[in-house]
Amino acid sequence: MPLQQGSARVRQRTVLLVGIAVLLAALVLAVVLASLLTHGRHEVSPKMLKWKDRGTTKNLQEVILGRCYNYITAQHPELGDKDCLKIWESLKDAFIYKNPCNITPEDYQPLMELASHPIPCNKSLFWSKTGDLVHRYTKSNQNFLTLEDTLLGYMADRVSWCGDPSAPGINYESCPKRNECESNPGSVFWKMASKMFAEAACGVVQVMLNGSVEAGAFRSSSIFGSIEIFNLDPDKVTEVHIWLMQNIGGPQSESCSGQSIQRLISILEERNFRIICEDNYRPVQLLQCVHNPDHTDCRLCTNSS
Amino acid sequence: KWKGEGTTQNLESIVIGRCYDYIRIVNPAVGEKNCSQIWEAFKNAFINKDPCSILPKDYELFINLTLHTIPPNKSLFWENNQLLVNSFAARGRRYMSVGDTLFGFVGDFLNWCGQADSPGLDYESCPTMTECENNAVDSFWRMASITYAQHSSGVIQVLLNGSAEGGAYPQPGFFADYEIPNLQKDKISQIVIWVVDDIEGPDADSCGTNSVKTLETRLKTLGFDVTCTDNYKSVMFLLCLD
Repeated sequence: MPLQQGSARVRQRTVLLVGIAVLLAALVLAVVLASLLTHGRHEVSPKMLKWKDRGTTKNLQEVILGRCYNYITAQHPELGDKDCLKIWESLKDAFIYKNPCNITPEDYQPLMELASHPIPCNKSLFWSKTGDLVHRYTKSNQNFLTLEDTLLGYMADRVSWCGDPSAPGINYESCPKRNECESNPGSVFWKMASKMFAEAACGVVQVMLNGSVEAGAFRSSSIFGSIEIFNLDPDKVTEVHIWLMQNIGGPQSESCSGQSIQRLISILEERNFRIICEDNYRPVQLLQCVHNPDHTDCRLCTNSS
Repeated sequence: KWKGEGTTQNLESIVIGRCYDYIRIVNPAVGEKNCSQIWEAFKNAFINKDPCSILPKDYELFINLTLHTIPPNKSLFWENNQLLVNSFAARGRRYMSVGDTLFGFVGDFLNWCGQADSPGLDYESCPTMTECENNAVDSFWRMASITYAQHSSGVIQVLLNGSAEGGAYPQPGFFADYEIPNLQKDKISQIVIWVVDDIEGPDADSCGTNSVKTLETRLKTLGFDVTCTDNYKSVMFLLCLD
């Protein structure tokens, strides 16, 4: 009897041990399989750098290509020889797989060359802190062109992009803000495009500034104040017309006689440009009046000078 | 072969690009749309067919795929003043004209047609309205107008040109033939008409006279609450710009 009990207990223990071993093996196998299966799925996102601004616009390629063709086909047929596919490829090559804090002007050189085009004289319209108003104006008056009305600016307006060293090379989650790093794809692009836009200007140029901003209508830190005015070519540009626009109903923070405007005028005069400054340039003010028709500043055109 | 301009070059890239531009940037509130599918539906409405046999309902699938809500009180109908309307609507921020909807946005200012027994687009020439009514582009805009009217609600605005030859309210016209018949009475609270003359243009038509009177009467008979204003100030300022 004692012998039988002994062997039964040994058999029980063996079964138990085998059971545990099988369970352990299954567990290990499951863990290994799980890590193998999920490894691929997690590979993309966690390795990408994380930034504070919105990521690359989804369907960037389709948007850029569509805008390029729209511009050269439907709007400016004289640019019909532009190759939109090449232009898209050169934009992509400028930032894909690169660390988005290491972008240089050289990265954008091929794109700038492919997409730039001449600007007719007397039509260049610069702007600072008047984005909404200036573009409403150029949409209704095709006599003036802002950077965003040129092919380069038209394609890139309100779009964002940046790369990352990890696959797939484009970061759709986030992109660096200017205060995270200055040499980011967006900032470098707009600085270069602005410089070229200024260099291409000839004849009389216009600039729309905001006279209702507390910090001053003209600021040296803006793209206009730091890049554009210094890249106007005195051999091509004769005159600068400043349109100083205040919000209907104020505040009237600054006018043509204001401090920052005087500073701007002296910088420009030093470079031998003639300056004319106009407070609340009437044609643009009319546009503002569309949404404030009953204001005393908004008399209909038949009455005004 | 035909008297009109041919299909716009790179039509496919433009249409698909505009579709993504709209859903990603212009009006992301409309949500996710399949732009490749939308292009296919658009194309299939008119390719491989006699270019004079295209009907509005051929665009039905395209409309179904691009349809989205039009916010109440934002609809802006118009006749003979497209550029003015574009300025006034401010790309959908103030008002949403048919050109500010996804279905209108992708087709605006473009031209297209196909050919019988061939899957290709005709880049050489396309039929004009006078050559045949049922051409690809006109049927597109008829379908877009019908849809736009059916989905408009609240206070709707109508901008008419008081200096237009033939009257501010043209008959036949898109508004008269495709939009008014499709306005949904139970969804519309009021119809506001603005008759605006060109600056230094003739004051050929105004509220209560001629074609505008015809329009007001027609809408009132249909049971709508109608108001009419001449030379609505806001719009006048835009005209002063030119």
